[in-house]
Amino acid sequence: MRLKAYTPFTSAGIQSAIAYKWNFLGFFFGQIFFTFVMFFLWRAVFRHTPGGLIGGFTFLDMTIYIFVANITGFLADTDASYVVGEEIVQGSISMRLIKPVSFNLSILFTELGQKLIIITLVAIPVFLGLEWFRYSQSGHLEFSIATFTIYLVSVSLSYLVMFFFDVCFGYLAFIFKNLWGINMLKFGVLNFLSGGMVPLGLLPMAIQRALTVLPFASMRYTPVMIYTGKYQGLMILSALGTQILWVLLLYGLSSLIWKLTERHLTIQGG
Amino acid sequence: MIEVHHLIKHFTKIVKEKGVGGSLKSLFAPQKELVRAVDDVSFQVAEGEILGFIGPNGAGKSTVIKMLTGILSPTDGWCRINGYIPQKERKRYVREIGVVFGQRTQLWWDLPLTETYTVLKEIYDIPSAEYKQRLEFLDHVLELGPIMSSPVRTLSLGQRMRADIAASMLHKPRVLFLDEPTIGLDIVVKDSIRRAIREINRTEKTTIILTTHDLNDIEQLCQRIVLIDKGKLVYDGDLDRIRTNFGKIREITFMLEEADQVQRIPFPPHEDLDIKQEGAKIRLRFNTEVCSLPQMLAIILQAVQVKDISVQDVDIEEILRRVYQRQVAL
Repeated sequence: MRLKAYTPFTSAGIQSAIAYKWNFLGFFFGQIFFTFVMFFLWRAVFRHTPGGLIGGFTFLDMTIYIFVANITGFLADTDASYVVGEEIVQGSISMRLIKPVSFNLSILFTELGQKLIIITLVAIPVFLGLEWFRYSQSGHLEFSIATFTIYLVSVSLSYLVMFFFDVCFGYLAFIFKNLWGINMLKFGVLNFLSGGMVPLGLLPMAIQRALTVLPFASMRYTPVMIYTGKYQGLMILSALGTQILWVLLLYGLSSLIWKLTERHLTIQGG
Repeated sequence: MIEVHHLIKHFTKIVKEKGVGGSLKSLFAPQKELVRAVDDVSFQVAEGEILGFIGPNGAGKSTVIKMLTGILSPTDGWCRINGYIPQKERKRYVREIGVVFGQRTQLWWDLPLTETYTVLKEIYDIPSAEYKQRLEFLDHVLELGPIMSSPVRTLSLGQRMRADIAASMLHKPRVLFLDEPTIGLDIVVKDSIRRAIREINRTEKTTIILTTHDLNDIEQLCQRIVLIDKGKLVYDGDLDRIRTNFGKIREITFMLEEADQVQRIPFPPHEDLDIKQEGAKIRLRFNTEVCSLPQMLAIILQAVQVKDISVQDVDIEEILRRVYQRQVAL
């Protein structure tokens, strides 16, 4: 693979993200709104919980969790199934096939370009705000460069897990021809199973274990636990290991599906 | 050099009966039907040749092109282009070909045109000096200068098509597949695109396969045509021969002052004459070898008063129809 062949996809991704900035800003404000809804919801729950402790989470823990989980979800989010599905349904996948590039990598690098914009515009202010909040509540600075660096590695892995999972999912368009409905289903299910709604730690132990071994915790929960300091030492290593394993497995799976479909391809239209 | 060897492509299609009931039925017990989109097609194209690949809508042209470009796998048979089997080594193979699907675009929709070319430069690993020279050449034949910095979505269809053709030629492909490159364009743009195709074929010996519905495209660009219908190869050979046999057909449409006046026209008696009447509107198809166009016009205009008159070339569908009726002639 020549990496250089994919860099223009990234720069084109950046440019098209800028060309459609309102689209992205709308999505971002929607996310913020949703985050605050969850915050108020949990606040109500905590107010009516004697002792103010749920599954070992204080209200402060939960607040941090909600905000970190949402920004993490935002960073690791991907449109791959939408892009793949749309290209299959519209038949524009043929325009990618006539180029000497790998199908899923060209999509990955385009999306990375869009991510770059998101990170600079959104993630930095959000994390500054978060740290300021933590500082105002606890009275001392909890930010550590080491933890944050590990968090960034983990988020990147989360993104790759999400991406290759989503690419596989997008190939379902070959079967279903239209993905909108099951995409909504996938979004809801993933949001819950990856810890976007409720910390996985609050779920029964057996389910928790299953979600940690399966790719779901790797999609979001792992980096959140790292950022909030709930994972330490060996725990971090094993969680990162699980993430890497899932990236490789799902990459392999998406390549395999691609190899198979390449042979049985039906391009719609024209 | 392109070899197509007994190429076959079958699709299974789900047949849906009418209405909601039919939809429900196909949801639970889908009825499948086999479509023979391409049915045993073989032909060869020599290096540097421009081949006109024609047939009516749904004949299987695009399906053949998709198999030749490696997008689709044949059910049976094979094709080999410059020694490559497209389905086997897609990434290496597509480096040597250029493809334009007239109904789609390979340009980056949201970005200025130049950006698409920059992306392509990196994808094909074109050295900067060569790239610059190439762009100058393409700008010269396709007049891209004024649109280079416009976002692609703002281009007109003609501009977009020229830009798309340039994009497919940036890496000096040895084989070029043009699937309806002039669809929906006006005469001036069609003309400049044809000139560009000829120029590139002449200077670089590019092998070109061209599909089109426009007989003028074929006449001005191709020495040879392959004609397919319902997935089957109907004709493979000289354009001249088909033109002598079928190209002399013209169609005249005219409006009479009164419908029954048509009986007053002394049409020359010949089997190769086809008159259709809808009220006062008459459509006449005839062979110009039997009666030349000026002659025929004179016959009509002397006999009756017409309100309006127009002359058309026959389209490919008409030629195809005639090929069928007189298959022995080929």
